[in-house]
Amino acid sequence: MIAILWVGVVLLGGAGSVLRFLVDGAVSSRTGRSFPYGTLVVNLSGAVLLGLVTGMALSHDTALLAGTAAVGSYTTFSTWMFETQRLGEERQTRGLAANVGVSLVVGVLAAALGVSVGGHL
Amino acid sequence: MIEDCLKLTTYFGERHRTGRAFVADAQLELFGQREIATSVLLRGAEGFGLKHHLRTDRLLTLSEDLPVVSVAVDTRTKIEAVLEDLQAIEHRGLVTLERATLLRGDVRLRLPDELHEATKLTVYVGRQEQVYRVPAFAAVCDLLHRRGIAGATVLLGVDGTAHGQRTRARFFGRNADVPMMIIAVGSGDRIGRVLPELGGLLRRPLITLERIGVCKRNGELLERPRALPATDEHGMAMWQKLMVYTSERALHDGQPIHRGLVRRLRESGARGATVLRGIWGFQGDRVPHGDRLLQWGRHVPVVTIIIDAPDRIATSFEIVDELTAEHGVVTSELVPALTDEEPRGGLRLARYRVQPRYM
Repeated sequence: MIAILWVGVVLLGGAGSVLRFLVDGAVSSRTGRSFPYGTLVVNLSGAVLLGLVTGMALSHDTALLAGTAAVGSYTTFSTWMFETQRLGEERQTRGLAANVGVSLVVGVLAAALGVSVGGHL
Repeated sequence: MIEDCLKLTTYFGERHRTGRAFVADAQLELFGQREIATSVLLRGAEGFGLKHHLRTDRLLTLSEDLPVVSVAVDTRTKIEAVLEDLQAIEHRGLVTLERATLLRGDVRLRLPDELHEATKLTVYVGRQEQVYRVPAFAAVCDLLHRRGIAGATVLLGVDGTAHGQRTRARFFGRNADVPMMIIAVGSGDRIGRVLPELGGLLRRPLITLERIGVCKRNGELLERPRALPATDEHGMAMWQKLMVYTSERALHDGQPIHRGLVRRLRESGARGATVLRGIWGFQGDRVPHGDRLLQWGRHVPVVTIIIDAPDRIATSFEIVDELTAEHGVVTSELVPALTDEEPRGGLRLARYRVQPRYM
C-alpha cells in the first residue's frame, strides 16, 4: 500500500510539473510581455486548488496525493523568486513590486477562496 | 593577408537536433573538420523565428531552447564547401551569406581601398588572450574608444574555430582559446586608421570588415535603411539586416529597449529577431565597461539582429526608430543570400551594388 502511494506521489508530482510547464509556456508566449504572467497564473491557480483540497477534508492519502504531490509540484516558489530577480536586474521596478505584491496578496485571497469553496462541497 | 571572403551565419535553437546530435555541435564539428579560419557559436538572450515562438532568458519556462547564432568566415571556396555539407543537417534554421573582408596573420594591416563608407569591424580574440597583461578584449575596446569609434560590443562565444582549430568551451578548464567577437561600428577612415594599431596589439590578428549603413546614432536619425528591390536584376531574392546596439541600462517605457523591441516586432509579424547580450563594451563617450559583482541592474551592451525582406524591413525600422528615440546605434546591411528551408542546389548570392552613402 505504502509503495503504491509513493509511486502515486512520483507520478502526480511529475504530472504537476509538466502541467506547470505547459500552462506557464502557453500564458507567457501569449502575453509576450516582460511581466511573468505565466508563473503568476500557475501560482494563483495552485493556491486556489490547494485551498480547495484542504477545505474538502479529504482522507490522509488522498490529501497527500492531491496536495503535496500534485499541487505542490505544480506551483513554484523558486521560479517566482528567479523571475522577480530578473525584473530587478532590468530595472523594471514597478513590475518587481507588482510581482511580489500581487502574488502575496492575491495568493492568500485565492487560497482562502479555495478553502471556503472546498468547505461547502 | 587581405582576402575577399564570405560570412556564413546560422540562426537556430539551442535544442535543435539533427539525428542524435545537437545542430550546434554538428555544425561546429563541421567547421573544425573544414578548418574554417574563424567561427563562433553565440548563445542568445531572447528571440523568435518564423513560427513566432518567443524564447527568453527572462522567464524560466520560455528559456528552454534559447536562440543561438553561429558565424563562420573564410574564403569563398571553403564556405561554399561547408555549405554543401551543411545541407545534410536537418533543422539548421535560418542561414545567411554575406560578403566580408578577412584580414589575418599580417601585422602590418593596411586599409583596403574601398573603406570610405561606414564600416563594421569584427575582431576575433581568445577568451583568455592577453595583451600586456590586460585581457585582449578590454585592450581592443580601450583602443577603439580612444580612437573615436562609435561603439563596440564584446560577445562571448561558447564554441568555435580560430585559425582553423576547433576550440570548445568546457565546464572544467581554462577555455583560453574559446573565441570572442568584438563588433565595432565606425566611419571607414577611422576604422582604417585603427587597423595597423590592432595589428600591432594582437599576436595573431583575425579581423573582418563589412560595409554597412549607419541609420541611427544616440537616438539621432541619420538615414533610413535603403529601400531595396525584392530581387536583384537576375531575380535573386535580396534581404536586409538591421542591427540595433543598445545597453541593458537603456530603457524605453520602463523596460530595456531590446525587450520592448522583440515584443513589438513579434506583434507586428516580423520574420524574426535575435538578441545577443555582450559582456563588455561601450557606446559613444562612455568608457568601456561590463557588469560588476554587486550592482543594481545590469550594464552590459546588447545587440538585436533583425533580418527580413526589404519591404518588411521598412516596417520594422519604424518600430526600431520609435524605441531607440534616445539611445542606441542602428545599422543596416544587405544580405545577399538567405534560406530557411531545404536549399536546392545551394545558396546563391544576389548581385547588387549598393550605391555609396546609402544602404
